[in-house]
Amino acid sequence: MTEQTGEIFDLGYQRYEGPREGRMRARHALWLNGVRTAIGLGRGWQSKVLPGLLFLGVIAPAVLFSVGASAVDPGEELPTHADYYWIVNIVVLLFSATTAPEMLCPDRRDRVLDLYLVRPLTTTDYVIGRWFAFFSIMLALVYAGQIVLFIGLTLAADEPLEYLRDQWLDIPRLLAVGAAIAAFATSIPLAISTFTIRRTYAAAIVIALFLISVPVASVLSVCEETEDQFGTVQECEPVTGDAAKWFALLSFPDVPMHINDLVFDEEIDSPLAELVREQNAAVPVAWFALLTAVPGIVLWWQYRRMAL
Amino acid sequence: MADTPLLEAKGLTKRYGSTLALDAVDFQVTEGVTGLLGPNGAGKSTAIKLFLGLLTPTEGAAEVLGERPYDSVDVRSRLGYMPEHDCLPPAISASEFLGHMAQVSGLPPEHARIRAADVLRHVGLHEERYRPLSEYSTGMKQRVKLAQALVHDPVLVLLDEATAGLDPAGRDEMLELIRRTSREAGISILLSSHLMGDVERTCDRIIVLEGGHVVEQGAVSGFTQETSTLVIDVDDEEKLAAALSSRGIETNRDGTSLVVELANDELYDAVRDAIVETDVRLHRLAPRRGGLTDIFRGDEKHD
Repeated sequence: MTEQTGEIFDLGYQRYEGPREGRMRARHALWLNGVRTAIGLGRGWQSKVLPGLLFLGVIAPAVLFSVGASAVDPGEELPTHADYYWIVNIVVLLFSATTAPEMLCPDRRDRVLDLYLVRPLTTTDYVIGRWFAFFSIMLALVYAGQIVLFIGLTLAADEPLEYLRDQWLDIPRLLAVGAAIAAFATSIPLAISTFTIRRTYAAAIVIALFLISVPVASVLSVCEETEDQFGTVQECEPVTGDAAKWFALLSFPDVPMHINDLVFDEEIDSPLAELVREQNAAVPVAWFALLTAVPGIVLWWQYRRMAL
Repeated sequence: MADTPLLEAKGLTKRYGSTLALDAVDFQVTEGVTGLLGPNGAGKSTAIKLFLGLLTPTEGAAEVLGERPYDSVDVRSRLGYMPEHDCLPPAISASEFLGHMAQVSGLPPEHARIRAADVLRHVGLHEERYRPLSEYSTGMKQRVKLAQALVHDPVLVLLDEATAGLDPAGRDEMLELIRRTSREAGISILLSSHLMGDVERTCDRIIVLEGGHVVEQGAVSGFTQETSTLVIDVDDEEKLAAALSSRGIETNRDGTSLVVELANDELYDAVRDAIVETDVRLHRLAPRRGGLTDIFRGDEKHD
């Protein structure tokens, strides 16, 4: 009995007769590729470690809050969705600083950008595709924790249905604030990434910007009162005087948190946040809009002027 | 149909500040393999970028299938482009990269995957398709670059210095692959090169740019037809040269060959008789064929 064997035929080059979906498909492909790139899909395990750890860093507080909520005595104050955003904000910004450069720098360093721009895509398509890809990842990140927390708080309540009825307004609030955090955490790191082809440089600059701005804003605007040896409170004046409430806005990580406080109508115990609250509510909103829109425009402009 | 222009330059001018890269050039690229030949700075890359829609002409027009790619990006989905420089992401596999590029060219995901596999088989990389691109040799990377230009089955592919960085064997394989792509797939090719040998071996037609002007264009066969120069290789060229001289035939040296300008057919007989008379061993006796190098030498004129 002869053993049956397979045979491979070389059919030569085959023409493509299938559908062509044009520019919309190209844009969607670019968006999907950006999402996969951000979380390391299609790449080695090393590319997945950092996004995975930071994702756990965002989810863990939500799980702890949920577990803690089921353990508190009746009448005690439960952790809120606004508290959660304050706690994970720095982890979210760290995630964006380390991951956003991956969206843009390799395409320019490896000159893959040249191949995109000779296809049915414009530079504007490219920039929008990458921005929305990273925005989608950031949205998923901030919403994932809030969903866990919402479910945890609901289940921890004595009367879950009553809790839902009382707290339903938290859903649009957390969605709105999450979108604000995601947009802010997308625009600035992506804009900075247009100035270098090295991811590590871009990440370092973004982290430095976020971390250094906090002590800078504090030094310029906060003056802690002290007590002398007789217990008398020594009042002090911030170095920037009456302008301190403006310099408090320089703390970049807190910018989306001011939106958080406004939307949830919370008053977080933070000297910088207290100074910002002295302003008209339109000021932190405008500041947030400016710091989100201007980097977006810089991002677009940088790619517009890049010659192939 | 063969004369339908795929690309057409109409008074195409591109100026960078005070530098004139292309000066009101007119040419057409039709079906088949066309060589765009010229030294560095001739305007080849500028012409390609104009046809890809990456640059806008200062004057005139660069048309692709009758459309202007810098005005409408949709026509670019029918073009393929293989750049001279590296353009491959090292961390992902050829299969993943080509599948993505096919989708960016407008193909649905399931079709893109199949096309990626088909085209990688066509360029001889089917077995290696799941390896990261960082592990590929220079020759393999050149093939992936060609594959990404073909993955969406374009009408025309623009290849910029396709054999750059390849050793002689790799260069032969790449040129054969280009030839086969045109022959089997019917895909037209514009091959930009400063290597005359590549163009001569691969192309049907040629456009020669120099200093932003078209200095020659036409069928390659028109540049490589037989000339009126006779090349003779023998084992004792001194002896034969003397014999020819005694017959009043002037000879020149070209390396180890003797070269005779044939004024009339009777000279063939005289050369034959001189070879017989001197009893030298004859290795080669043939008219010289024109070469593309002659375009730049200016010592031959072609129709």
